[in-house]
Amino acid sequence: MAIRLPETDVVVVGLGAAGGVAVLPLTRAGLQVIGLEAGTWMNPGRDYKADEIHNNVRSLVTTGNKVGSEIPTVRRSPSDTAVQQARHPMMNAVGGTSIHYHAQSWRLNPWDFRARTATIERYGQDYIPENTTLEDWPVSYADMEPFYDHVEYEVGVSGRAGNIQGRINPEGNIFEGPRQRDYPMPPLRSCDFLDHMFKAAQDIGYHPYHGPAAINSRPYDGRPGCQFHGYCDRGGCHVRAKNSTDVSTIPKALATGNLTVTDNANVRRIEVDNTGKVTGVTYLHEGEEYFQPARAVLLGCYTYENIRLLLLSRSGFYPDGLGNSRGQVGRHYFGHWDIQGGTLVSALFPFDINIWYGAIAQGVMVDDWADDNFDHSGLGFIGGASLHVYTEKHPIGAAAMGTFGKVNKRWGSEWKAFIRENAARSQTAYIQTNTFPYSHTRADLDPLVRDPHGDPVLRITNGPKRNEPMAAAHAADKMEAWFRAAGATDIVNTGGGNGPNLSTHAHGGTRMGNNPDTSVCDRFGFSFEARNLGIIGGSVMPTAGARNPTQTIQALAWRTAQHLVDSWDDITA
Amino acid sequence: MADQSSSHAGNPNNRLTRRQILGSAATATTATLIPLTSCTTPVSAPAGQALPREAWLVLEAFVERLIPADANGPGAMAAGVPYYIDNTLRQWNSAELDFLSLGLLELTRAARRRYDRDFQLLSHTNQDALLEAMEKGEIDGFENAQAVFNRLHRLTLEGMFSDPYYGGNQNYIGWDLIGYPGAVMASTPDMQRMGGRLPPLHTSAYGSDYDGD
Repeated sequence: MAIRLPETDVVVVGLGAAGGVAVLPLTRAGLQVIGLEAGTWMNPGRDYKADEIHNNVRSLVTTGNKVGSEIPTVRRSPSDTAVQQARHPMMNAVGGTSIHYHAQSWRLNPWDFRARTATIERYGQDYIPENTTLEDWPVSYADMEPFYDHVEYEVGVSGRAGNIQGRINPEGNIFEGPRQRDYPMPPLRSCDFLDHMFKAAQDIGYHPYHGPAAINSRPYDGRPGCQFHGYCDRGGCHVRAKNSTDVSTIPKALATGNLTVTDNANVRRIEVDNTGKVTGVTYLHEGEEYFQPARAVLLGCYTYENIRLLLLSRSGFYPDGLGNSRGQVGRHYFGHWDIQGGTLVSALFPFDINIWYGAIAQGVMVDDWADDNFDHSGLGFIGGASLHVYTEKHPIGAAAMGTFGKVNKRWGSEWKAFIRENAARSQTAYIQTNTFPYSHTRADLDPLVRDPHGDPVLRITNGPKRNEPMAAAHAADKMEAWFRAAGATDIVNTGGGNGPNLSTHAHGGTRMGNNPDTSVCDRFGFSFEARNLGIIGGSVMPTAGARNPTQTIQALAWRTAQHLVDSWDDITA
Repeated sequence: MADQSSSHAGNPNNRLTRRQILGSAATATTATLIPLTSCTTPVSAPAGQALPREAWLVLEAFVERLIPADANGPGAMAAGVPYYIDNTLRQWNSAELDFLSLGLLELTRAARRRYDRDFQLLSHTNQDALLEAMEKGEIDGFENAQAVFNRLHRLTLEGMFSDPYYGGNQNYIGWDLIGYPGAVMASTPDMQRMGGRLPPLHTSAYGSDYDGD
């Protein structure tokens, strides 16, 4: 029998990028919050190293015991047997994957929130990709703006505004939606290579800007600015300049006195009463099973576990999983195509660019070929991709570089001469594509593979798409032109990527919408069926922008938490 | 997570240095040795603590052909790459030990079949010819040749270009080869300047704890 704990106001399941932000508005409003986190606290001085073996080869910062035991399976089509993947893309810790992410921190483009309507208006119904279940978001950019602003100031985001209340600043992103005020910090510093790429982009008529980052560019909120040591990727920040939630919003929530963090808590089920209302959660902690009653629950795991926990939480009231009476949980799932085997454009320069140090988020962006920032007439696809060139190169990765066809071997004297000359001369752009849900992309429970508790892991069915690879290939050609304008002598351009792999940018599966027949939660992120269950995380996003999702996830989490505060009596009645 | 990062190679007491290996060569394990009938090897060569001596000797020759000493500077042997590989097989990837150790012995068996000598005693030309066949998976009777090659190739790169803390990249030979100045806790704009090589710093993420020689 589970040990029954005293009731609290709100349980937040998962204290990562989403839950770690949601606790702040809740606790500031005076609600008593218990945060249940499967991982534990990291210690920057002890756990984070300027070391590629530690971070990237052995994944010592990013390995999680819980996620490692529940890695989803993946297949191309419903007739295939899904195969469990080698590694989960996320980690368990207080702060979650915001600890090791690249911290590129974006607002989506206003177009993202109404891609369906905007596409039909500008290009006609025929431009809606075949088999897509694309819907407009139930919120607009204007609805999101105040919450984006909260995140930028409370988490801490550095960047250069391109549009303040309609006033365009050509040094920022001219395509962004209007913001009420500037970022709280200027962008991360530039460097020779980025200046060089910036100028090359301008020379060919692109509109480059220094990308925003949830990294301090100067001391902020009592923590120092970025040290640019070059081990940001898959490593935590040794000086706490990266604004993971364990150093930003969670400490602020703890300071209210209203947050209790329970780490090493493995949440197994969300419990309901016989009216379908959520009563709390059951979790394992140090070998004991506990039931934590709560007036409301916010589910804030990664996309995969949000979907799985709902499907596992079957009951008499919800025989097909919590909030799944219409079979929508797991539908409208999709991942960003750029991850693992996706679109790659690599360049070789005839001079040393020396991008060893820095950070992935220290970069120059181009949005000209993303979203609906260009005329798609006759192109046969919608959306596009952002182009990002950046710094931070690790020595093993540099030595393992492709040889651009200049030597045919990957070992021996000739190869050694090649890397001696070229290891400091190459860069691979980061290309992220607007991505949409389809009827043939979904997640459900795997019929064969189980976790150590005997629960099925999640199964991803992710068939090939036509629209997104075309959009990515179009952007890749623009990237190639940019590299050539900057003097690159050799380019490898893989074209549009199309992989069914697990994604660090998994979206959907508990989609938010206005229609309960085609979505799981409402425009505030609350279940259409269990009204005191809020869902936060990438799983609620109806589409993916041409950029990293985290700041949008955080703004949505803030908005969901604020709605819970504002509508407390209704939601918990 | 925290427990994991404080064990394994993160613990200086678990590290294997060239000095320790030289000191312990006489007591190196022989438990997993596979008898080799026509083995002619120098008796003075040190063995690792994980790999049996015969496999170690093949490994030394293997890594040196992958990254040879030549006009562009010292190679994998001078950088201590076998020590990195042995360390990682002992402390981290122990599940791979048999796979790679047997693979190295298969390589030398193939050398004996084709050239009647152990791999490490072949001419560079013959070693390279055998490695090219191995890379393509075209050695009769060596079923997983390609998988063994690919894994050892990857570990050779890791040993050559990882922090010297782990036993390879000794005297920063690997980092000097590609122009990576060294691990630092902070970089200045000048350390991100373009055009021309950056001067070496020869710094490990683990500071003076590094016991390279």
